[in-house]
Amino acid sequence: MSKSKTRTGPSIDSIKAKEREKLSFLARMEYKKMITYPLAVFLIALILLAISFPPLGIDLNGGVVVTGYGVDANPDELAKYVSDKIGVDVRVERFTGVQSTGVRVYAPAGTDPVRIIRVLKERYPNAEYIHSEVQPTFGKIAQQQGIRALVFAFLAMAAVVFLFFRSLVPSLTIIFSALSDMTIAVALMGIFGIELTTATIAALLMLIGYTVDSNILLTTKLLKRKEGSVEEAYLSAVSTGFTMSTTTLGALFVLWLVSTNQTIDNIAIVLIFGLLADFMNTWVLNAGVLKWYLTREARGGRV
Amino acid sequence: MKRKTKRLLLNWKILLLILFLVGSIATLALRPLTYGIDISGGVALVAQTEHPVDSKTMSVVVDSLQRRLNNLGLRDITVEAQGNQIVLVKVANISTEEQANQIKTVIESQGVFYMEFSGVIFGTGKDVEYVGVYKINSDNSWSVPFRISKSAAEKFAKLAKGKPGWPVDMFLDPPVNSLLVVPESVYKAMNSSEFNARAPEAPTLLERITKAFNISVVAYANQSAGEIAKLAEGKDKVVLVDVPQELQTELEGMNVTVRYVARAQGESDHQLIVQVLGLYGPYSLGEGLTVGEAQQDVQITGSAPDRLSAEQEASKVYTVLKSGSLPVKLNVVGMQFISPRLGEGFKTQALYAGIGALIAVFLIVYFHYRNLKIAVPVASTSLFEAIIILGFAALIQWNLDLPSIAGIIAAIGTGVDQQVVITDELLGGERSTRVSRRSSVLRRMGRAFFVIFASAATTIAAMSFLLVYFVGTLKGFAFTTILGVLIGVLITRPAYAEIAKYLLGED
Repeated sequence: MSKSKTRTGPSIDSIKAKEREKLSFLARMEYKKMITYPLAVFLIALILLAISFPPLGIDLNGGVVVTGYGVDANPDELAKYVSDKIGVDVRVERFTGVQSTGVRVYAPAGTDPVRIIRVLKERYPNAEYIHSEVQPTFGKIAQQQGIRALVFAFLAMAAVVFLFFRSLVPSLTIIFSALSDMTIAVALMGIFGIELTTATIAALLMLIGYTVDSNILLTTKLLKRKEGSVEEAYLSAVSTGFTMSTTTLGALFVLWLVSTNQTIDNIAIVLIFGLLADFMNTWVLNAGVLKWYLTREARGGRV
Repeated sequence: MKRKTKRLLLNWKILLLILFLVGSIATLALRPLTYGIDISGGVALVAQTEHPVDSKTMSVVVDSLQRRLNNLGLRDITVEAQGNQIVLVKVANISTEEQANQIKTVIESQGVFYMEFSGVIFGTGKDVEYVGVYKINSDNSWSVPFRISKSAAEKFAKLAKGKPGWPVDMFLDPPVNSLLVVPESVYKAMNSSEFNARAPEAPTLLERITKAFNISVVAYANQSAGEIAKLAEGKDKVVLVDVPQELQTELEGMNVTVRYVARAQGESDHQLIVQVLGLYGPYSLGEGLTVGEAQQDVQITGSAPDRLSAEQEASKVYTVLKSGSLPVKLNVVGMQFISPRLGEGFKTQALYAGIGALIAVFLIVYFHYRNLKIAVPVASTSLFEAIIILGFAALIQWNLDLPSIAGIIAAIGTGVDQQVVITDELLGGERSTRVSRRSSVLRRMGRAFFVIFASAATTIAAMSFLLVYFVGTLKGFAFTTILGVLIGVLITRPAYAEIAKYLLGED
């Protein structure tokens, strides 16, 4: 046992050292740049949101969706076929998973899903079908509740962060980081055409918990450090943070890859977007602000 | 070495983990997991009440809906109220979409039933306590006996005293608090004694519905949409009856809720009125009920020209009385149907995804630290965490649906994050001198747990709003996430810290 300890001990250290080497450019970056770049990205995300906000899913907007598992078809051709048969314009989307392929047929609220299934069954009798429909009135309720849940969750998170750190600048930075993570995630959803649904709203809420993790880690390491320099503390936080995020990203990626269920797929992809945004917001933006904050404090200025 | 291992195993944090783990496995063996309809197959319906209701009314809605669906011979039904306007109905073991749609129709056809006399509502559907079998006589007259509640009977006795022959009206889903725009002839019919049974001196139908339901009626005389909208101020909606249909689009453009009723071919004014108001009757009040004494057992009688229509009328009244027991109208606003075979597929997928995620975590952690002594405990702690969450779900018979499974995986994701924080804090201590090591480890663990508690607190704070406020199917996501975070913070993370301390040679 003791033999293996001497063997593994240094190897971990050397791995860590190598990693620190790779990341030290971040530690040396000037804090002004560290603050400016992420802010620019945040602004771009806001502009993207204004241009192409993610489409609202049927559970927020109302509508009918029929999913056929085992249907392998050209979406445009199938859309035309179904529209002609039922006399309602439909949109068809194709998806593939590890085990099967399938299509989702979207129709406006009020369309009878059973009719769509009947039409599909004529061509693909062996496929499995599920359907859901949502009235626009309920979509409105879900929208309001989604917004309310997001706002409240965000405020609750902010309150908890303040309680833990009791310091204005670091707390506000964490809160802004989370906001920027969510904004960038939503902007990416818009770019990739991922719908805003109750499931993706839940994922955005989850993001609050996920992304705050690494920010809290960084802030704790920098503010509560008893030994070493700011740079040293930063590098140790970065290496932990990168391990954290890569494991989570790995798990989420597998989830996304294996599942053909839209709810699970969308939750996974939104969390991936948010975590990617969080890399930047934690290790560049939040770190930049903290560096600036600590330099000011060291010079005797209080914020 | 042995002593050290023994001490680890006797550590209360480790004991707690073992206890929960064994308990969970035992629970899972004794009480198998129950699955949500998106895995077991079935239909989920979201129904919305016409307007917000108080909790008492809501529980009446839930009860009567449950009873009604049970009457259909369905099993595995859950009816759950969410907030003051939403009812969630889940029925498992439904295998065709036609069956699913039938349930939707049943929920929507539940009407709100009112009994009204002289412009006063003396009873609603919940006052109907019992409905007897209807009877058809040889002269084609019919009767439906039923029992009304004591309070309704007393109210009625007072109202009806000395008024033999007066009309008693029953309504199913009348357009409460609305403005009716009708053709001149329809207006005249409503304002005459045509609906007065055998008492021309009683208030007209128009007066009765205005008093009872706040329904105003205007005769259509080429008013503009703007004028109609002005008349409808303060009303819930405008009902356009057999007037030019352009008015509907124009009014809707002004954000007015509009219902349009067209006259069917050959439909008389009388039939049109009955249809628009959901009116049953009027039924003439028999003399026996006018003496001022409360009688709970009453009956509706009528007569028809032939046996067939007598039968039809009686059965219609019978059905209305029997099913119209909801205090408020429900609309199905969302519906989801999943075939059982597909659900089974989702379950295996979720299982594969979970195992795959675990393997991914193991591999990434291994390649990061190049150390099995870290990768194995991290991955197995995550596995234990999942087992404990599942054990808890089995214990409280939580219906595991897909969002719940996503929540478990999300919780495990944060769990791994926090184990990495603990590991790195421990490894960071390697470089310090032996003397300061012990206190350094304590401080470092303190810092790791500060991070862990802070992030757990934010996750729980964020998720609890989802749990409390959200309607629909995402409660499972919030529930399992919170459960997972709690189990992590209280049980698995402290235990992992002990194991890591032991394996990484710290004491």
